[in-house]
Amino acid sequence: MSDNPILIVGGGPAGLAAAHAVGASGRKAVLVEKADRLGGAPILSGYAKLVPSHEWAKDAIGGMVTRVQQNANVTTHLNTSVQTFTGEPGAFTATLKDGTVIAADSAILTTGFTHFDSLNKPEWGFGTYPDVVTSVQVEQMISSGKGIRCPSDGRVPDRVAILLCVGSRDRQIGREWCSKICCTVSANMAMEIREMSPKTNVYIYYMDIRTFGLLEGEFYWKSQEEAKVKYIKARIAEVTSDGKRLVVKGEDTLVKRPITIPFDMVVHAIGMDPNVDNMTLSAIFGVGLNRWGYLDKASTYAHLAETTRPGVYTAGAASGPETIDDSIAQGQAAALAALTRAGFGALKAAE
Amino acid sequence: MPIHEKSLIRPENLVTNDNLVIDGVDVSGHWSTFIKSRTVTDYNEAMQEEIAAMPGGENIHRCWQCGSCTNACTVNAVNPEFNPRYWIYLIRTGMEEELLRDKDIIWQCVSCNKCTYACPRDVFPEGVMKATAHWLELKGHTGKSPSSHFDDDFTESIIDTGMIEEARVLLTFFKRTKQPLAQPWLIALITSLLKKMPVGYLFRLGFLTVFRPKVRNWSKNRVALQEYVDERKAAQRAALGMTGKGDH
Ligand SMILES: Cc1cc2nc3c(=O)[nH]c(=O)nc-3n(C[C@H](O)[C@H](O)[C@H](O)COP(=O)(O)OP(=O)(O)OC[C@H]3O[C@@H](n4cnc5c(N)ncnc54)[C@H](O)[C@@H]3O)c2cc1C
Ligand code: SF4
Ligand code: SF4
Ligand code: SF4
Repeated sequence: MSDNPILIVGGGPAGLAAAHAVGASGRKAVLVEKADRLGGAPILSGYAKLVPSHEWAKDAIGGMVTRVQQNANVTTHLNTSVQTFTGEPGAFTATLKDGTVIAADSAILTTGFTHFDSLNKPEWGFGTYPDVVTSVQVEQMISSGKGIRCPSDGRVPDRVAILLCVGSRDRQIGREWCSKICCTVSANMAMEIREMSPKTNVYIYYMDIRTFGLLEGEFYWKSQEEAKVKYIKARIAEVTSDGKRLVVKGEDTLVKRPITIPFDMVVHAIGMDPNVDNMTLSAIFGVGLNRWGYLDKASTYAHLAETTRPGVYTAGAASGPETIDDSIAQGQAAALAALTRAGFGALKAAE
Repeated sequence: MPIHEKSLIRPENLVTNDNLVIDGVDVSGHWSTFIKSRTVTDYNEAMQEEIAAMPGGENIHRCWQCGSCTNACTVNAVNPEFNPRYWIYLIRTGMEEELLRDKDIIWQCVSCNKCTYACPRDVFPEGVMKATAHWLELKGHTGKSPSSHFDDDFTESIIDTGMIEEARVLLTFFKRTKQPLAQPWLIALITSLLKKMPVGYLFRLGFLTVFRPKVRNWSKNRVALQEYVDERKAAQRAALGMTGKGDH
């Protein structure tokens, strides 16, 4: 182990957790973030209250940002990214776009995901009808405090449909994964909509409900039992308009009947695509991608955070759809892996 | 019949026209049979609320359509058309027309509560069946079911005297449901009772039947009870947007 800092690329929940862990251990970390601020998707996209904590994203993740900013062992470079990365474990050299050269002991890639672009599913009306929106837009409506309004004319919707699995679980568009968090986020969003405008009826169209673990009772059951959100088993075929309202067409599979139901607003629960930068990251860092396009991991159990290149680790949504809490845990695991690389890092740090 | 085995085409949805030309093409007669669309074109949000306002229906919104109730159901075992899971769905989405097709079998629930113990979400399907039968009656879709008659007789007996007079309840029940009094099982029951009963008991029984004593100071309770019953009935009618008195 060298005295070189540990390079962390991407300042979302995973990267912030890794930077904090490295800094707190007494080692130096350099955090490189391509956006103009830290925080990752929850901050950059303005999410509202998070699951499962019900804390506002700006408070919860904002707190993580402050903690890292105040850590003297962490140096942050914003608005830039890594352009070249060469060398061996213990002695890597990274050059940033702005010309900065960093000597690094190891690197942790916490570059996260890219939101699915709903334009790729034109049959569901996004981009055609203003009242078809994404879950990110609804997050922003809630966090802005303006409430749920139809973008077309600002009215409070009588009826909202949330379509699950938009951009996930769909071979037609080459996405054979479940984005893991959108069921729970949608159930939570439905409850928030019902709370903000109790007259609005919310329907969730699903194929399966994947509110795994303890999220089942707190989000799925509660949304149904307390907020009276309705769940309809149908994958929607198309969203059109009759000129006044949106019309959602599909098959109600439980009663085996076609449905064409009027709605005021349709929400796409969009999935977590691999980061659009992954091909570039793969080339620059010499790490492999898995068959879905996320950063590949060397092993499932033995070395949790390792990529296919020794000395380069990954954590969070960079390696597949993840929740925030799992991204944080993985960020810490990656920090530990980097600190103990070669087996004596922790000993050295204690000296 | 499990719902997926139901015929997708109902006879009443088959249409033939004696004389019809569309865009110059003659589509008259049997060879051009049309099938009317089965498409559901709207949800009726009021329906779930109405059933939930009936006693027993309060938890209907919890259902996630697992089918445990229907699988456990005593009546479903003999009549596959009896499907609580399906009806709960129709109510939740407001497919009233569809529910009404089964109006004459919903009351057949025997209140065994097997569904109640099978339901993972505590929907209380037995209560929902009762609430639905009650709703059908209030809305005038069905006549009074035998169990409603029984409830009425039972309630009347208590309101009148503060007591349950089994014989009278039974008599009134048979009369109101237009069943003959001479039920073989009843005759057998009574004759065997008469044979074994001490003479003193028989006298008492005779006395009670003729004089119908009331619970002491019953009149006050009676008024309170009647008021409560009226209040509940009015609330239920109000929940269905009905005004005025009367059960139907
Ligand atoms: C609508 C929606 C709501 C959600 N709500 C919740 C919720 O309530 N609770 C929950 O647990 N999860 C939620 N999630 C999931 C959550 O967003 C992710 O778990 C989390 O953002 C993953 O963190 P991360 O740090 O791995 O990646 P990200 O948050 O994506 O952060 C990656 C960071 O890396 C930066 N970056 C990317 N590429 C580069 C590069 N080449 N060079 C430098 N920097 C780069 C990015 O700018 C970003 O700051 C939600 C997801 C969606 C889509
Ligand atoms: S979490 Fe739910 S909505 Fe998201 S992809 Fe998986 S099944 Fe679909
Ligand atoms: S209570 Fe009624 S619905 Fe429930 S199992 Fe018995 S007969 Fe079926
Ligand atoms: S058992 Fe309960 S949850 Fe399952 S279908 Fe019946 S009522 Fe619904």
